[in-house]
Amino acid sequence: MKIKTLTVIGLMLSAGSALAIDSPISGTVQPKCSIWTETSGVYGHPLPYKLSTTPADGGVKASIRVDIAQADYYKTKFTHPNSFSSSPTLTDSVAWTGSTVVGAVSVAAMSAYEAAKVTYNNVTEFDMTLAGSTWFTVSSTASYGSTKSLPAGNYTAMIVAECVAK
Amino acid sequence: MCSKITIVIGFVLWALNVQAHEMTPAYPKLRPSYIKNVYITELKIFNRRTDVEYYSIDVFDNKWKPVAFASPNKVIRLKTNKYKTFEVYIRSIDVDKITYICTTSKLFKSKEQVTLVSSRICSKIKK
Repeated sequence: MKIKTLTVIGLMLSAGSALAIDSPISGTVQPKCSIWTETSGVYGHPLPYKLSTTPADGGVKASIRVDIAQADYYKTKFTHPNSFSSSPTLTDSVAWTGSTVVGAVSVAAMSAYEAAKVTYNNVTEFDMTLAGSTWFTVSSTASYGSTKSLPAGNYTAMIVAECVAK
Repeated sequence: MCSKITIVIGFVLWALNVQAHEMTPAYPKLRPSYIKNVYITELKIFNRRTDVEYYSIDVFDNKWKPVAFASPNKVIRLKTNKYKTFEVYIRSIDVDKITYICTTSKLFKSKEQVTLVSSRICSKIKK
């Protein structure tokens, strides 16, 4: 009888100690910015002197997604090209135009980014005041000389997407 | 309806979180290192870009002028879906002027007629 009682008490105590064990899962949420290249732009060649990412010119605009984990911690800057990073030898000047616009947004209020953007030189700056994803569309056009034909070869230009902590 | 779908797709993509350049913390803090008159901070970079394998480290003041620094690797090799913690060492005489620590993706020369996208993320030193 004594042995049985002791066994029961022992089991109760062991069950009690099992209940006391904690298994915490911890995590940290911190401000974070991620830059994702969804589509690299492609230049179309609609005219002998022109390269353009506009779909009507046979090109593809670059699409860049920026994810912001916490609101109001970052600014983003997009620099559209004003020179080729690689090209055949060019003997005349190239006139560059380009722009960055807000495409799709994950939070409706992000649409306001477009009206609030700041543009200078070939840079467009956005204040990321909300958490979520924003898709930016960058376009670029290069016109060679005074309507001179571009030499045959491959042309590459660079878009710089930046996320800077405020 | 369309905006709802966009929001849902946005959050799904956000949750999947693929192919990105990330760097944390946003506000790193400098602390004295084991070397006299040298401060240190640590940052973590995550490469989810499939088209990028190298990132360079740069340090700037508040006017975006480069500031001298030391790091075990000024260009980090980082394969896709890998992260790395790296240290940045700053001289104590530069501690007051250092403002930004940035990592920039390094791209390979392309043979196609494209626009390449270089990504740069900058953290701001907590003062």
